Amino acid sequence: MSLQLDKVRIKLALVVDDSAMQCKVLSVLLKEEGYRVFTANDGARGVAMYIKYQPDLVLMDINMPIMNGYEAARKIKSLSKENSLCPLIFITSMDTDQAFIESIDAGGDGILVRPFSPEVFKAKIKSIQRISDLYATIKELQREQQADAELAEQLMADVIEARNYALDKIGLLKKPAALFSGDILLTALSPNGNVNALLGDFTGHGLRSSIGAIPLAETFRSMTKKGFSLIEIITQINKQLYHLLPADLFLAAGFVSVSSHDESAYIFNAGLPDTYIYGANGEIKHKIQSCHPPIGVLPNLIPEVSLTVINVLPDDRIILLSDGIVEAHNEAGEMYDFERFEETAKIGVIKQDVSNIVLKSVDEFCQGMPQQDDISLIDLPCGGWEQTFVFNPHHNVEVNELILSESDLLASATWRWELGLTGERLSRVNPVPMVMSQIQEIEGHAEHWQSLFTILTELFVNALDHGVLNLSSELKNSPEGFTEYFTERENRLKNLTSGFIDIQLAYYSLAQGGRLNIQIKDSGTGFNLEEVEKKKEQLKDGKIQLSGRGVEIVEQLCESLFYRENGTLVEASYIWTS
Amino acid sequence: MTLKKHVSDNKITIVIQDRFDFSIHQHFRDAYCDCNESGSEIIIDLSQTTYMDSSALGMILLLKDHVDKISGKMKIFKPNEAVNKILEIAQFHRLMTIEK
Repeated sequence: MSLQLDKVRIKLALVVDDSAMQCKVLSVLLKEEGYRVFTANDGARGVAMYIKYQPDLVLMDINMPIMNGYEAARKIKSLSKENSLCPLIFITSMDTDQAFIESIDAGGDGILVRPFSPEVFKAKIKSIQRISDLYATIKELQREQQADAELAEQLMADVIEARNYALDKIGLLKKPAALFSGDILLTALSPNGNVNALLGDFTGHGLRSSIGAIPLAETFRSMTKKGFSLIEIITQINKQLYHLLPADLFLAAGFVSVSSHDESAYIFNAGLPDTYIYGANGEIKHKIQSCHPPIGVLPNLIPEVSLTVINVLPDDRIILLSDGIVEAHNEAGEMYDFERFEETAKIGVIKQDVSNIVLKSVDEFCQGMPQQDDISLIDLPCGGWEQTFVFNPHHNVEVNELILSESDLLASATWRWELGLTGERLSRVNPVPMVMSQIQEIEGHAEHWQSLFTILTELFVNALDHGVLNLSSELKNSPEGFTEYFTERENRLKNLTSGFIDIQLAYYSLAQGGRLNIQIKDSGTGFNLEEVEKKKEQLKDGKIQLSGRGVEIVEQLCESLFYRENGTLVEASYIWTS
Repeated sequence: MTLKKHVSDNKITIVIQDRFDFSIHQHFRDAYCDCNESGSEIIIDLSQTTYMDSSALGMILLLKDHVDKISGKMKIFKPNEAVNKILEIAQFHRLMTIEK
């Protein structure tokens, strides 16, 4: 709502002319137009009166003693406040091109050559006032827009990006071209300990380009928190933005999920410049090119495009960047470009401060040239994300007291839940987040569900990979094999038409806490239980294996873990105390 | 103005000179929005384009929507190396024909 006070307020006019007669004539005409009029008889006095009364209109003679009209006009224009035009008209009898040009050069908004009729004078005043009103309207709109942008910026900074995970470990760089950036940087922790990061670049910048930011951040966070896999999150975000945004608005984005557990990184580049993986000595180990049109362009992701899986060392760093860095220009029109970026990032990696060193380098290169596009970067370390599980030391004691016979347990289950997935659905549906959300809906939110999430994920993935898909975990024993394993897994999942996995949960309330029995049955051929046990004994003190660590963690977290029916059925029991 | 339009039969060629960015979006839209004849072909000639930004990508997507609606055809013609790099990063060859 804007108040129309200006319309009611009496307008002030200042007439500067060394002829008292002229002042009188002009004053009468202006008063007829509703102005309150002040007069001055030389330029210097005119400037002083201008400062004192801040008029809405100035009429200025050219030839005057002490200070002439041009000089007075220059002074007045330099004093006039940024948000008001204060139109200034020269009144003169010099009908020459030179006078006209000099008047405009001195800051005049118009010139009126004597003699003129009162009608022409009034028409001139009206037209100049119209321009002045338009100017005021634009200034007002600009102020409103600025206020909106500031509010949006505050929302972005306080609500969206302040909730990012591990700001102390992950380097984030963001320098918007407009107040409100079209770039968005998000990081979040998945319940399995993976760290997910997203660097997004909405088309254009400013308010228009950021309407998708809030739903994007919400989806990214909540799906990560519920434990959905990276590709599931990307699929959902794509769908959401496709429906939400107009056709010419989209999101170029890089998605990364880092797993300390698997020592691997999952990367999806949709429309950003190459994503880099640097080694600790600043060497570039991998460049991951864009492999998919930006997010929100197509209704569904292109099926044959999949995540890039790369084995990483704890000291490696993943660097995502938007095109604003490489396209930054200096005065000579040169681009900052990839070569400079790669060299600078190398120094940054070695000095462990990529974002600040890159920002400084880009600033020095541009030498104060106005920034055309948003500049942003994520510098994500690949190590240090190991999960710390809290193993409940009271488990064993209490459990022995609580153990009941199988039939008693079945009879007293507080609730049961079951899901059977078959064939192609197995490749499309991840039941773990569904199970987790069921449990939380019934039993409420609690920290220890994170352990349960890990148990369910490990057991389900084992049933799917080794049972239904019949993949050998031997493959995972070498870094190259790990990537091969993942590719083969993708392949078999895509062509999956048969097989099943049944998940059964039974929950028992205990006096202090509860117990969850988990049964997962798969359609695979199973495995030789004794052989696996033997192997485990042999490897116990040996080198760390890439496979099998999942089951080890599950064993530590669960009260009991049994394989039955030739390894095709796993039964786990998870107990917690409140 | 850095945009030229040639029409022959049911083929429209839009030639964009120098910069392809938001400043020409109205001209770009005007160049094709009256073309409603089914089966029309629209060619975006980028052989004289030196720079393209992400809003240009958006404008091309709007054109593609229009072409799909009238069951027409479209292609991007001869982008230079720098412009092609931008199309490549956006993986536009998956969405339309790009003739090099």
